[in-house]
Amino acid sequence: MWWTLFGLILIATAATRFYKLDQPDHICWDETHFGKFGGYYINRTFFFDVHPPLGKMLIGLFGYLDGYNATFAFEKPGDKYEDYPYMGMRAGCAIMGALLVPLSFLTVWEMTFSLSAATFAGISILLDHGMLTLNRYILLDPPLLFFISASVYATVKFHNQRDRAFSFPWWFWLSATGAMLVGSVAVKFVGVFVVFLVGFRAIADLWEILGDLSRPVSYTVKHFMARALCLIAFPVVLYMGIFYIHLQVLYLSGPGDGYFSSAFQTHLEGNFLHNASTPREVAYGSLLTLKNSVTGGGYLHSHMHLYPAGVGAKQQQVTTYSHKDGNNRWFIKKFNKPTPLWNSSDPIELVRNGDLIRLEHRPTRRNLHSHKEPAPVSRKHYQVTGYGENGTGDANDVWRLVIESGAENEPLETMRHKFKLVHYLQNCVLSTTKKTLPKWGYEQQEVTCNPNLRDGAAVWNVEDNRFPRLPNVSFSAYKLNFLQRFLEAHAVMFSGNAGLKPKDGELTSRPWMWPINLRGQFFSAGEGVKIYLLGNPIIWWSNLVFMGFYLTLFAVKSIRDRRGIISSPQQLALQERALSACGWLYIGWLLHYVPFWGMGRILYFHHYFPALLFSSMMSGVVIDYLVESIPELLPSGIRNSAYHMLVGVIVSALFYSFYLFAPLTYGMSSGPSTEPNSTMHGMRWLETWEF
Amino acid sequence: MKEPTHRRCVFFNSSLGEKMVDTEVKNRKVNRSKGKNEKNKEIPNPAVDPRDEGDGESTPEALPEELAEETVAKKASPSKSEKKKRSGGKAGAATAGTALSDLPTLAVTCHFNLLPMLLFGVALATRFYALDQPNSIVFDELHYGRYAGLYQKQTFFFDSHPPLGKQLLALAGYLGGFQGDFKFDKIGSSYNASVPVFAMRSVPALTGSLLIPLVYMIMLQLNYSQWTAALAGFLFLFDNALLTQSHYMLMEPILLFFAMSGVLCVLKFRALERSGNAQAHSYSLRWWGWLLSGAIFLTCALCVKYVGVYSYLLGLALVGHDFWEKVLGNLSLSKKQVFGHACARFFAFFMVPLMVYVGVFYIHLSTLVNAGPHDSAMSSAFQASLEGGLSSIVRGQPLEVVHGSQVTLRHAHGSPCWLHSHAANYPVKYADKRGSSHQQQVTCYVAKDINNWWIIKRPNRTDLAVAAPLDRISHGEEVQLVHGITGRNLNSHNVAAPASPTKQEVSCYVDHNVSMPAQDVWRVEITNREEIGDVWHALESMVRLIHVNTSVALAFSGRLLPEWGHNQHEIVGDVMVNQPNTIFNVEEHRYTRNEDEKDRQLELMTTDFIPLEPVVMGFWEKFFELQIRMLFISNENVQNHMYTSSPWEWLVLTRGIAYWVSPESNAQIHLLGNIFVWYSATVALGVYCSLLIFYLLRQRRQCYDIHEEAWNQFRTTGEVLLVGYVFHFLPYFFVDHTLFLHHYLPALAFKLLLNAALVEHLYYLTRLVFAKQFFNWMCILIVLTWMSGILMVFNKFLPLSYGLGPMNASQILDLKLRETWDFIVHKP
Repeated sequence: MWWTLFGLILIATAATRFYKLDQPDHICWDETHFGKFGGYYINRTFFFDVHPPLGKMLIGLFGYLDGYNATFAFEKPGDKYEDYPYMGMRAGCAIMGALLVPLSFLTVWEMTFSLSAATFAGISILLDHGMLTLNRYILLDPPLLFFISASVYATVKFHNQRDRAFSFPWWFWLSATGAMLVGSVAVKFVGVFVVFLVGFRAIADLWEILGDLSRPVSYTVKHFMARALCLIAFPVVLYMGIFYIHLQVLYLSGPGDGYFSSAFQTHLEGNFLHNASTPREVAYGSLLTLKNSVTGGGYLHSHMHLYPAGVGAKQQQVTTYSHKDGNNRWFIKKFNKPTPLWNSSDPIELVRNGDLIRLEHRPTRRNLHSHKEPAPVSRKHYQVTGYGENGTGDANDVWRLVIESGAENEPLETMRHKFKLVHYLQNCVLSTTKKTLPKWGYEQQEVTCNPNLRDGAAVWNVEDNRFPRLPNVSFSAYKLNFLQRFLEAHAVMFSGNAGLKPKDGELTSRPWMWPINLRGQFFSAGEGVKIYLLGNPIIWWSNLVFMGFYLTLFAVKSIRDRRGIISSPQQLALQERALSACGWLYIGWLLHYVPFWGMGRILYFHHYFPALLFSSMMSGVVIDYLVESIPELLPSGIRNSAYHMLVGVIVSALFYSFYLFAPLTYGMSSGPSTEPNSTMHGMRWLETWEF
Repeated sequence: MKEPTHRRCVFFNSSLGEKMVDTEVKNRKVNRSKGKNEKNKEIPNPAVDPRDEGDGESTPEALPEELAEETVAKKASPSKSEKKKRSGGKAGAATAGTALSDLPTLAVTCHFNLLPMLLFGVALATRFYALDQPNSIVFDELHYGRYAGLYQKQTFFFDSHPPLGKQLLALAGYLGGFQGDFKFDKIGSSYNASVPVFAMRSVPALTGSLLIPLVYMIMLQLNYSQWTAALAGFLFLFDNALLTQSHYMLMEPILLFFAMSGVLCVLKFRALERSGNAQAHSYSLRWWGWLLSGAIFLTCALCVKYVGVYSYLLGLALVGHDFWEKVLGNLSLSKKQVFGHACARFFAFFMVPLMVYVGVFYIHLSTLVNAGPHDSAMSSAFQASLEGGLSSIVRGQPLEVVHGSQVTLRHAHGSPCWLHSHAANYPVKYADKRGSSHQQQVTCYVAKDINNWWIIKRPNRTDLAVAAPLDRISHGEEVQLVHGITGRNLNSHNVAAPASPTKQEVSCYVDHNVSMPAQDVWRVEITNREEIGDVWHALESMVRLIHVNTSVALAFSGRLLPEWGHNQHEIVGDVMVNQPNTIFNVEEHRYTRNEDEKDRQLELMTTDFIPLEPVVMGFWEKFFELQIRMLFISNENVQNHMYTSSPWEWLVLTRGIAYWVSPESNAQIHLLGNIFVWYSATVALGVYCSLLIFYLLRQRRQCYDIHEEAWNQFRTTGEVLLVGYVFHFLPYFFVDHTLFLHHYLPALAFKLLLNAALVEHLYYLTRLVFAKQFFNWMCILIVLTWMSGILMVFNKFLPLSYGLGPMNASQILDLKLRETWDFIVHKP
């Protein structure tokens, strides 16, 4: 029986997941990113993404196995794949996504040892269009969801080995849990919530073990050490290993360079900083480019255009610009002397910490200047301009060089030193707000003088340094070790994530909309086949009902226990089974859902799917409880048939709803659903569904 | 503490054991034998006091009950406990009950009354010292003072915090004779004689002073000795941050006062619940009194600032926990009785707060009836319901019409109607067989409608978003008018108008490819430019739109269109330029922000319109609108403020906030805690948590290191103070808006109480571990040294709390103990 059901579910899974997998034969939604990123692993190009690399590495691997040579451009959603082999990547993702169904089946089986609970859980994952649609394309979600459910399965399996502590299967499932946890975190950072779930579970287990007075404390310590090894130390090593591979594989300069520090870029072959050489120290008269040290910071830039009327003083614009350009070059000179000539024979003077300097823009020969006028966008900061003629300006051009944690009079070094420029008269720091200027500023980024001297964005470093009278040293001297690159990659990812803020007034998906399946997401909206990511409303809404039922059951049972009301042992066993499984699943759901409420970042509908995994599994358990206990209320003669009727009705309702909404996944005919010949005619139950 | 602890434990065990024989003999024997077996292996000493975790209630001690009994007349009870303590101290043999709070000081009863009085006196002295100095606006007095002034003027204002605190300030101002005539323009400007600074500042000063006796009583209620209670008061008294905050018109002292009063009442209520004859107390006057006043105070805290909700939740959690333990778990109560208790608590903690909350807003809304500067935060209907609100609505609009302005054009004379278009075309043939251009209809519509929006645009530009510098439209310049929803241009051509065949048709241009080119450029003529000037102003400028190709003027013909035009008024091009029907003015006006057409349409669809006449809005309507705006659309995000800080930094006091600086010298007010107090409290928090984990782990192994009373006290402390701290602190990690140091003060209050509690617990542990009296004295000596250290630091930073001066630069730099403290040095 068990194998029959499991086999049937497997067949159904394979059938639903692979049916029409090659349709639509164009780029759908975020495939444009992740397909492209996967390709970068094949052609070894360095790129930047806010998510950790494992998911994209897997996509790259799937493509590689299929013989994809990463030549397709993945330009924008809707582009046809034509002859490029995209099926390898899709199939790889679909397989990972398909594994969710057996994994949830097995997880619930291990939790309850009830075949019907496991089957219901499997079916409600199997028949959900959201899960199905999301897991058929080249996205990060299939690997993420796979690793999450695999972690849960492994930890449940491990929990069931508790009577055989330190046996081989015990060790195996414990380390499998650790490995799967790494997988989820290394695909997307939201995978960290399942780490918390496993952590809580481990603490609860340890608490149980500690309470067993027949064992010495050292036994608990042993358990603790085993978990620390397999759930902390081993995963950390594995996680760093993934990044090591990531950084080793991607050694060619690519689109991601600009997000990283100058020192990081020296590692990338093809980057102009790779194997380049400059003088180590900065001397007066050097021609410099200054890079903002904030993640993705640009170069200090100026150009022959003035701030328009009404925006501070009508002087030359100063901005940051992320591309290399002759307008990024500045001469550094003493505050009271003109720029020394490169061919003069005066002794070389090095720029030192605490010096008063001026910066002269080379193409326009104006000095970097600031004064008490509000900056164009950040009105509380001062405006920064280029001012003066042929290098002569006024006292407002004088800046004090402050090297971050530098010793007094320490000479300024290229790349290695980070410094601030403090305006001598106004006592403000040269900073960039990373806000985009309007059209007149060519949409470059605003540079201001910030009176808050602690502004984190006010840190700069010298990237290019030209001065023929000093010997050049190779940039390889600035190379970082793996740990530094690892940490920098994380800093960049985190600030990238934090930077994904919704724009003012932009309509974004909010967490409260998700569980009620309020609005979906178009995967493919162009001409021809339309795909719309939307949950199966029957499953989603009943998930909520069952969750409410679980909470009520829990509350009622707690109160009854408290009041000393005794239930029949049969009922009690049933309740215990359902409640203990639901308890952990509910915590899993909470952990994967509630944190989104506190996130300021831009959110999308598909962020709910990890939580959905848990709530669907919970539904399986609750349905099982219901079909077991409702017939108990009936006279014994019809119990059996009532049970079968209930199961039959529920299963057929689920399958029928799947059939109804199937065009969402497999492609709707174009045209609005109001037209009677549309495949989705009459299915638009909510106004907010956009098909 | 391992070795010595166990030596004491042996002793305690023998005396305790006999006392508890009758309860759970069997269990204990099993436990002990088990314990012995394994203790021999791991821990050198097998003798521990075996108890079950939950049986704390089986041997009710006299002390808490007495305290509970004597809630009103609180003098008597401590004297009893005092006697007990003394007897314990004299006896020398530490019995279980007395070891806990057995201080060697032989205090007499009168000390007890004197202590809180003394603390309160010092509190008043510090809080009221030089209260009207500096006589200028300090930090957020800018807002709160202004709001208090607006209350005097009964002018509506919008603030995302609830009004109770501001109402109290306003009341004090009113009693002090404040007329609201002072303009709160910027931090540092001097008050004039019309502002009763002393009266208004005395609200936070008084509530801030009352805080000290309150925390004293809270500590007593938690079963701590009067010395510990006094220590808690001392910590509150000599924390510079609490002093600074209580010295100016700020909300935190008021919030803290209500929160702490509420917590105290809930604790008193708990004491009744937990006393031996809880049954007898149920529904007594005192029972209701503490329950209701607790709920009311906590709601008041919520009504001062929304963060007060965490105090309310703490109270709710405590009451709920007791309900679960004492009522639901009490099987001698019938179902009906349990239900009655549940109802009483529900009433007190849900219905009463709701009434208080609504009441506070009722006062707020019924007082503020005049329109004021913040109206624009509310809907037009709300604004129009205020006295003089209608005219102030239009004041909030941008004045100058520029390229990218979104406008509604109102026909200026006669009955009001607005230039309108909609997605329907003129019929190909009219009833009289004439033909039309079959382009989109343009009408004049008598109702406010989203289809009345037009966007003014220069013919040669394609972008629409307004950006600085503004591209103003002046008299004589040529523009196009784009219909907001359909995106089509206002057009006219030589085709007869539908209802007035002698006039020219006006349409929104649709390219039908029938050699009818777009003629969609109009010249702006401002008829009253003599008074208003050449630049097109919203509302004021009376405008004619002259069609450039044919020189007709856009005009209201006075005729109605038939069915196909929805019976709206006809708009035509009229060669008679000089007539009143050609004059329009801009009524509603906004700058376009979105370049994308979809977003722009959405923006148009989601804005509401200015009502034509004052609106009468009921209280509930106003209340709900205000709630929604306060809770969901708060925009108080202060970007790039210099003195922001993050929750982690609060633990170690990384940054303060500059409140005020004297224009003459470096004298300044800087919100900064007493760094000694803050650091000790942070350390205490860590020590408490480690001890808690230690005890829990040990108890899990059935090892009981401390006495039952000590454990109960320790646990209750955690339930109230640690949970309170976590409630008030943790949420800040998940909020998105800018945070300042003063947001930490409610959490700090719980942390300071925890610190005082921990001191007594550590003292208890010392007594448990060391037999010699010497160590007790050492302990007290350390505490006294610590306290004098606190006093010294307090004294050192006092100038920053009061803004005492004059100070020179080196004096200020002398106070800069941490590199990250940014004091202002603007004079030598």
